[in-house]
Amino acid sequence: MESIEIKRRARIWIVFIALLAAFFILVSLNVMLGSVQSSISDTLSALFGRGGDMADILWKIRLPRMLACVLLGGALALSGFLLQTFFNNPIAGPYVLGISSGAKLTVALVMVLVLGAHKSVGSVVLIGAAFVGAMISMGFVLLISQIIRRSAMLIVSGVMLGYIFSAITDFIITFADDASIVNLHNWSRGSFSGISWDNVRVMAVVVIVTSCLVFLLSKPIGAFQLGESYAKSVGVNVGAFRVALVLLSSVLSACVTAFAGPISFVGIAVPHIVKALLKTSRPLLVIPVCFLGGAIFCLGCDLIARTLFAPLELSISSVTAVFGAPVVITALLKKRARS
Amino acid sequence: MDLKRFLSLALCALFLFSMVGCTESAHVNRRDLGNGWEIESSMPLQYATQFSVDYYAGGYKLICLSDNSRFLIVPEDAEAPAGIDKDITILHQPIQNIYLVATSAMCLFDALDALDAISLSGTKAENWYSENARSAMENGKILYAGKYSEPDYELILSSGCELAIESTMISHAPEVKEKLLDLGISVLIDQSSYEKHPLGRTEWIKFYAALLNKESNAEALFVDQVGFLNEAAAQENTGKTVAFFYISTSGYAVARKSGDYVTKMIELAGGNYIFSDLGDPETATSMVTLEMEKFYATAKDADFIIYNSTISGELKNLDELIAKNELLRDFKAVQNGNVWCTNQNLFQETTQLGRMILDINRMLVQDDPTVTRLNFLYKLQ
Amino acid sequence: MDYFFSTKQLTVGYNGTPLIRDIEIRLQKGRILTLIGPNGAGKSTILMSITRQLKSIAGTIYIGDRSIEEMTNRDLSHHLSVVLTERLRTELMTCEEIVETGRYPYTGMLGILSAADKAAVREAMKLVNVADLKDRDFMCISDGQRQRVLLARAICQQPEILVLDEPTSYLDIRYELELLDILRDMAEERGITIILSLHNLSLAQRVSDDVMCVKGETISHYGSAEEIFQRNLIHELYGLTDGSYNPVFGSVEMKRPPGTPHVFVIAGGGTGIEAYRTLQKKRIPFITGVLHENDIDYQVAHDIASCVISEHGFCPITDSSYQQALEKLHTCDTVVNCLVEYGEINARNRELFEQARLLGCKVVENVATL
Repeated sequence: MESIEIKRRARIWIVFIALLAAFFILVSLNVMLGSVQSSISDTLSALFGRGGDMADILWKIRLPRMLACVLLGGALALSGFLLQTFFNNPIAGPYVLGISSGAKLTVALVMVLVLGAHKSVGSVVLIGAAFVGAMISMGFVLLISQIIRRSAMLIVSGVMLGYIFSAITDFIITFADDASIVNLHNWSRGSFSGISWDNVRVMAVVVIVTSCLVFLLSKPIGAFQLGESYAKSVGVNVGAFRVALVLLSSVLSACVTAFAGPISFVGIAVPHIVKALLKTSRPLLVIPVCFLGGAIFCLGCDLIARTLFAPLELSISSVTAVFGAPVVITALLKKRARS
Repeated sequence: MDLKRFLSLALCALFLFSMVGCTESAHVNRRDLGNGWEIESSMPLQYATQFSVDYYAGGYKLICLSDNSRFLIVPEDAEAPAGIDKDITILHQPIQNIYLVATSAMCLFDALDALDAISLSGTKAENWYSENARSAMENGKILYAGKYSEPDYELILSSGCELAIESTMISHAPEVKEKLLDLGISVLIDQSSYEKHPLGRTEWIKFYAALLNKESNAEALFVDQVGFLNEAAAQENTGKTVAFFYISTSGYAVARKSGDYVTKMIELAGGNYIFSDLGDPETATSMVTLEMEKFYATAKDADFIIYNSTISGELKNLDELIAKNELLRDFKAVQNGNVWCTNQNLFQETTQLGRMILDINRMLVQDDPTVTRLNFLYKLQ
Repeated sequence: MDYFFSTKQLTVGYNGTPLIRDIEIRLQKGRILTLIGPNGAGKSTILMSITRQLKSIAGTIYIGDRSIEEMTNRDLSHHLSVVLTERLRTELMTCEEIVETGRYPYTGMLGILSAADKAAVREAMKLVNVADLKDRDFMCISDGQRQRVLLARAICQQPEILVLDEPTSYLDIRYELELLDILRDMAEERGITIILSLHNLSLAQRVSDDVMCVKGETISHYGSAEEIFQRNLIHELYGLTDGSYNPVFGSVEMKRPPGTPHVFVIAGGGTGIEAYRTLQKKRIPFITGVLHENDIDYQVAHDIASCVISEHGFCPITDSSYQQALEKLHTCDTVVNCLVEYGEINARNRELFEQARLLGCKVVENVATL
């Protein structure tokens, strides 16, 4: 049986190296491609040498955007993985607990109440509003989870919360002017455009710290793969784990929603792709590779979104849907075929 | 534990909301440079209230806008003066390579014959009313730089742009403004949509003239429009009522707020806007969605209907109008054949507002049934 | 005597509604306790409460002299492991990985297994004969194999107490025996205390040391296997009316054919059982004799024959027994002789057969033709 073990290890290494290669290729492409063309040597010298317009474009526009894709893509993939494992549901994703609806609600509130009265706000306020909205939504979910102890019901209550928040948002919009409505609609399509270095700094801290915490949760996540009852029997503190999981996945998806708006399908599709490639669901392996996979997915989709029809930008969510939806459908079909 | 978390989150939310930049609307203040220089003269403004231009010795001009932004125009080859207030943005003449997003400003630039100062536009070629603008874009003299909310930063940066003229929509996408500033591009937000008087909007031609050193052209154009207005205002109020609205795709009637510049135009033309008290004067929104019953009850008896085609396209005939909502058949204006429709590009014609008022006046006053087409309105039959 | 595992006035149920009250378990180390009783009686509820999967309504559960209430999940996992009845659905996990989760209480922060852990896993898998499945996907093996993998998982958790809820319900007879055998080994060789619930009474009788009968609101009976596996008790516990239970072998028979018998079966030494069962299937009542009371035919005949003429064990057939048999023979019109050889003590059955012939009874060779 040793050869099987060797084959498995080899597979994991190959996948990992291939993904790393893809990652570096996409990073380079994202830095080199844009609506302003320049040769490779120009790009390199602009990156590391003198200033000038090209350097500005690279440093101020492309690099922060690229880093945002990496960080937020990884965050989404991890968030999706956590929720799929916990709920044992292949279509669970970062927004299944109603986070994006909560964020949209607070952003709508700010747009209608504050901006509608001819005041202006900094982007920090909108980002903060989105984050606060997501966290409030998460707070509700946690409250509910103390009362409803069954994990399956948590998804239902998350979905219901999402509907309630959407209904309230629609209510608020009736008092909004067209400008607010248009802009709220734009916000909910999600976009990596306009990310600044300040944004990247905050994102990096939040995402990296949270991702490390997720990695440290590998052990109870592994126990949970046998279901809640067996996890409890091997000593997992199920209540605390549930809270930690909701918290961590919410922080990750709240961070994404705050800085880039809701971006769908990454969180649902990437864990499936990663598990299909690695052919294992061991958390110690899947977690880092999911992060890498999410980064690659977002880098690729953002590249397409901003270069395909330049200077028009495609909505990032439509690109991720085009690639992500087939993955989810295949995963669902495979699961049906199995059972 | 959960209650505490909740409270702390709520407090966070409150704190964030209070962190909003408090900007007063409507009036311009703080017209002082801060370095002790004395104002030589100020631009006389008849109707505009959302900006001011002060002239200093040496050809320097200080422009202040009602959103508290200030710009100092420095003459060509001159230096920026020392010791001025930090929040004043310096713009060196000649001002070129402008990235223009505010659609209402395009025809002003066109009228001033200053299109070559623009190199990037936030609107696609086919959506411009102005022929010159359209052909400039088709010839590649002006490039399309993406939507206001997702501009192509690389293109803007590489074109050497130094000034972006945005519309108030940008306040909903503050990260775009911040990014542009970060890239070293000054951002000016056109406040003309907040002008209460229609000619206040037209007077913004003087604003852009100050930017481009074409003050004399502007004055001449403006005087024309004032002339049209006076011609209309000279006549008495006809006592006729006018309803100005459109039917949205979801079936609602959307009308202008009372006191907004379109309704002012109607008043100046000698008509009476049928909705006397619509909307909240304090908010910046200009349109109000009406519930069908209220709309029907009030507008049914309007003498004239002007259908606002700028949003969803021009109507060809009365049947198309009635197809939008059967109830319109009962409206007095429909039954009397007094339904008119605006040209789709009404709002882009900021330089012609005086003439527009005269048009509305002609619509109200003349009773020659063969006249079905005015400059900016046409009869729906 | 100090009990290793005990419960005091334990009341269990769902949502605060008590299902079974005042459960008193007293179990010594290394003993196997089986819960038996009708379906839905509450066996699973008790087991779930013992393992703290379900909150008990009242009472205390002790391991040694520590109440499990004061233990955290972590503490408890060092003492107790479980094999549950729910169907697992895992994704891309090999059998070895499943078993490895049993080492959870012993591994470090990231859950990486040490050499000792890996050895424990290997050993547990060898013990239950699933070592060759270690790289197979858990979802791609049979139910029986899965059950054994889960048992291996529970074993490598190195518990002092092992709780299993209907562990043999998906297993064929071979694997059922194998699994219970392994459990007995665990109890005898490693001193693991085992609590399980079983449907199969005969296996329960063979594997248990102590038995708890769950029926109704309280525990109807609790005692050693010898005490509990009695005919009347079992009949009452399961409400057996259409059948019977034989505690000697732990076997069951279907019900006795009703009516007046007209068939006489001469048998002994095990030769008659097949005939009896065939007649029972055909619903033909019969009389049989002369059987010795220590004859295995007697065990079966006792439950399904309308009348049995018997003789004391080890004794030759006495005259009185013979006469009884003859009388009964006169009421029958068919005779079946299953015997092929006669010994000293049943020689008179040969005579009986002759008599039957003389009486004009129809002689049937193959009962199936009746």
